[in-house]
Amino acid sequence: MPTIVIASPKGGAGKSTTAILLGTELAHAGAEVVMLDCDPNRSLTLWASRSSLPPRIAVLSDIDESSIIRQIKSRDTDGNIVIVDLEGVASRLVSRAISQADLVITPMRATTLDATIGARALQLVAEEEEALDRSIQHAVVFTMTKAVKSKQHKGIAASLVGQGVDLIEPPLMERAAFSAIFEFGGDLRSIPPQGNMTGARDNARAFSEQVYKRLTGEG
Amino acid sequence: MSEDNPFRIDLGKLRTRNKDASLKTVSRSDSVGEKHGFVERAPRKKRGRKPSPRTGQVHAKVLPDVAREISEEAKRRGVQQGVLIEEAWSLYKASQEN
Repeated sequence: MPTIVIASPKGGAGKSTTAILLGTELAHAGAEVVMLDCDPNRSLTLWASRSSLPPRIAVLSDIDESSIIRQIKSRDTDGNIVIVDLEGVASRLVSRAISQADLVITPMRATTLDATIGARALQLVAEEEEALDRSIQHAVVFTMTKAVKSKQHKGIAASLVGQGVDLIEPPLMERAAFSAIFEFGGDLRSIPPQGNMTGARDNARAFSEQVYKRLTGEG
Repeated sequence: MSEDNPFRIDLGKLRTRNKDASLKTVSRSDSVGEKHGFVERAPRKKRGRKPSPRTGQVHAKVLPDVAREISEEAKRRGVQQGVLIEEAWSLYKASQEN
């Protein structure tokens, strides 16, 4: 089973939003998705409690560093996807989750602070690859981006690409629907209209498609 | 892009990959994490015996042989002497109610 770990030691980078958008879009596209809520703030659990979960999605809460590997392993079957949402701190839970990942996604806002702190996750993945003697695919996605990219955004993107970092395009834009999903639960097809819903769905779907391509080796 | 052009997943392509989860691998992962400041942050469980709920205290002086017998009985049963006093008090209260 592909295990996708959403990791950044920076809080407020958009990890839980990324996890939910990715999980709901992949489930909508036909995958069975298990989402592991490893964040003590219980963002995914709160989302799951707002309304009934979309089809083919399960959310497991209260995963800690002593149970993370067991939880991932116990769901390790073909045809399914596990998404691990982590707390925005540098913890042993993060390094253990990465050790079991097929793909690590680091969401970051296009700011110097996010990029600087997010880079710690990139370094950790690189060293874990060496220590565990296996490749761990890794990618960065910008979150909460504006329609017009700032100079800072372009500069950080160029710097990451220049260092060989896989940057997922499209980024996840700042959209009312993405934040409203925590208020209403469900997915982008079930929540009441919030701003440009077609744009939001297309954005989330295109992002998820790019993630899927990386899982299958097409990206 | 729209719902007319849906993104569909080919489940056959989502294959499981073998990932080592042995203690050795976990230990290596922990070491690498610690090097980068990804350290244990889970709240530690309190070790040792839980505090006793018996916070009351009586101040009883008894005859030496009674003290010795209470001590021996408590040791034999593996309980604190206070437990015997509680039991004796229960019997006393029960006798008062009859």
